[in-house]
Amino acid sequence: MENNSLQDLNFLDNNDHEEISECFVCCVCLDLLYKPIVLACGHMCCFWCVHKSMSCLRESQCPFCRNQYYHFPTICQMLHFMLLKIYPVAYKGREIQTLEEEKKTGFYSPQFDADTGRSQTKFGHSGSPSSSSSINLVSNACNGGTSECIEQLQSTAQEGDEGTIYFEHSSYGAPIGIGTPSADGKLMPENELLPQQKISVEDVKCTMCKQLLFHPVVLNCGHVYCESCVINLADEDLRCQVCQLPHPKGLPKVCLGFDQFLEETFPEDYERRKVAVQLSKTKAQPLTSSICSSNNGNKGENIVWWSDPDSKVHIGVGCDFCGMFPIIGDRYKCSDCKEKMGFDLCSDCYNTRSKLPGRFNQQHTSEHKFKLVQPNIIRNIMLRLVTGQSTGNSIDSETFENLQFTSEALLDEGEDNQNDSEATS
Amino acid sequence: MISGGGGRSSSTSSTSSWAPTTWVSASGKRIQREMMELNNDPPRDCSAGPKGDNLYHWIATIIGTPGTPYQGGIFFLDIIFPTDYPFKPPQVIFKTRIYHCNVDPDGHVSMGILKDGWSPALTITKVLLAVRSILTNPDPYNAVVPGIAHLYLGDRAKHDDIAAECTVRFAK
Repeated sequence: MENNSLQDLNFLDNNDHEEISECFVCCVCLDLLYKPIVLACGHMCCFWCVHKSMSCLRESQCPFCRNQYYHFPTICQMLHFMLLKIYPVAYKGREIQTLEEEKKTGFYSPQFDADTGRSQTKFGHSGSPSSSSSINLVSNACNGGTSECIEQLQSTAQEGDEGTIYFEHSSYGAPIGIGTPSADGKLMPENELLPQQKISVEDVKCTMCKQLLFHPVVLNCGHVYCESCVINLADEDLRCQVCQLPHPKGLPKVCLGFDQFLEETFPEDYERRKVAVQLSKTKAQPLTSSICSSNNGNKGENIVWWSDPDSKVHIGVGCDFCGMFPIIGDRYKCSDCKEKMGFDLCSDCYNTRSKLPGRFNQQHTSEHKFKLVQPNIIRNIMLRLVTGQSTGNSIDSETFENLQFTSEALLDEGEDNQNDSEATS
Repeated sequence: MISGGGGRSSSTSSTSSWAPTTWVSASGKRIQREMMELNNDPPRDCSAGPKGDNLYHWIATIIGTPGTPYQGGIFFLDIIFPTDYPFKPPQVIFKTRIYHCNVDPDGHVSMGILKDGWSPALTITKVLLAVRSILTNPDPYNAVVPGIAHLYLGDRAKHDDIAAECTVRFAK
């Protein structure tokens, strides 16, 4: 054990020489954020950390502040590429480590290409062929095989912008950067740079006003706005200006960790923005109150879902477009997607929006057919039992776990035996 | 999408046990980080670390806070991490016998944060601090030993006497 643990601790220490700012440490894995997601309460976690800590039976809670949410948010690509620039070594290390885990479980997180990253943030989920094809390109390699995947990784690392060539020495899985003095020598100058020398204001601009973010808020689709810009947007329901995806449950809270980082990194620009925003705020005071009232309305709606005994709840199944988890109402399952994760949509997304792309790197295309899946009745009775008990305030974790377990067994066997009615997309 | 984490992990947890290899799972990495954090900044009157070579089985000690009936006692605890830690809470078991309304006769600690109230952002440091705080302030309204809770509410002096006697007998 001694040897092993020592080596492992070295691995942990190795990341630390990049001196990761406390705002970018995930509160779940206690490591550098990887593919960060910003929840509506403004707290940041890794993609998988959020997904694994979500409850498949009822509303999920933020690991940090227990704020309730129903929709699995999309990865914030701005933060993703920013962290990649600030901590190239640690972030790549996390990439390899996460990919290893993903290969074990057979579930994959979305892949982003550094070059197309910009265009993706522009097009987002609009389903335009150019952005989706770039996603597929990378993900093909990842789903395809084991070694291909790493090659892809290494090649992107080498081609990556601004000379981020750190990967040639890492036989993957082995601790990175240990015992390779040449690589360390190359890294040193880069590491001495301050964050503001690695990134520019260009990297952290508001989607809307195109200026440095001030009090950034992240919508469910992963796009980042200034709080003041979003307030102007929100008349009735908050909708992202880029991808037109609605943001559920009212106005998101400011991502304070990110805000603090911006203030420290770009003090002058930040101060300028602060003054500008405060000036405009005094002009548009009455708007904020109307936002608050719409918040309350949305919250009420969610409670109705859960207490309504006739609502169709699909335990453990989430919508791949809006992220609702579990799906309440009709569930449409793609019958052509072969991935273990599957591809499902809620009725709203099925009826109105484009079906691209999946949240777990599914190779879904618009030609795929959907079928309507009925929720399992037994599962729903159990759900009501569980939620009923939980409101009665005492359910011990063991029975809860058992229920989750059985619900999964049901999920697996029920999938095929359902009386599905065919529907085409 | 279907749930890849959450519930699913509970079914896989029983099959994959910890094997000492150079590759460390995400849960193992998180436990190692907590170990480092604990070594760098240990909470007062508490200590914890792996028992033997199993990273998922820790042993911890808590020294009874002065001013409580547990004063001067050294309490040993076992901490068992599930393989899907931190998404499931760790199990905390008193190995030293203790007279306390929130600790069942087998030593299992009954606390909200170790059940429904668990959050993946909680760490062992925080759990130990919580255990230490229930030694100072027992929670008789969520007790697992009703007799002790009744005595605590009805005759605090007698409760404290018995607790102190048990501490002298078992924890010194």
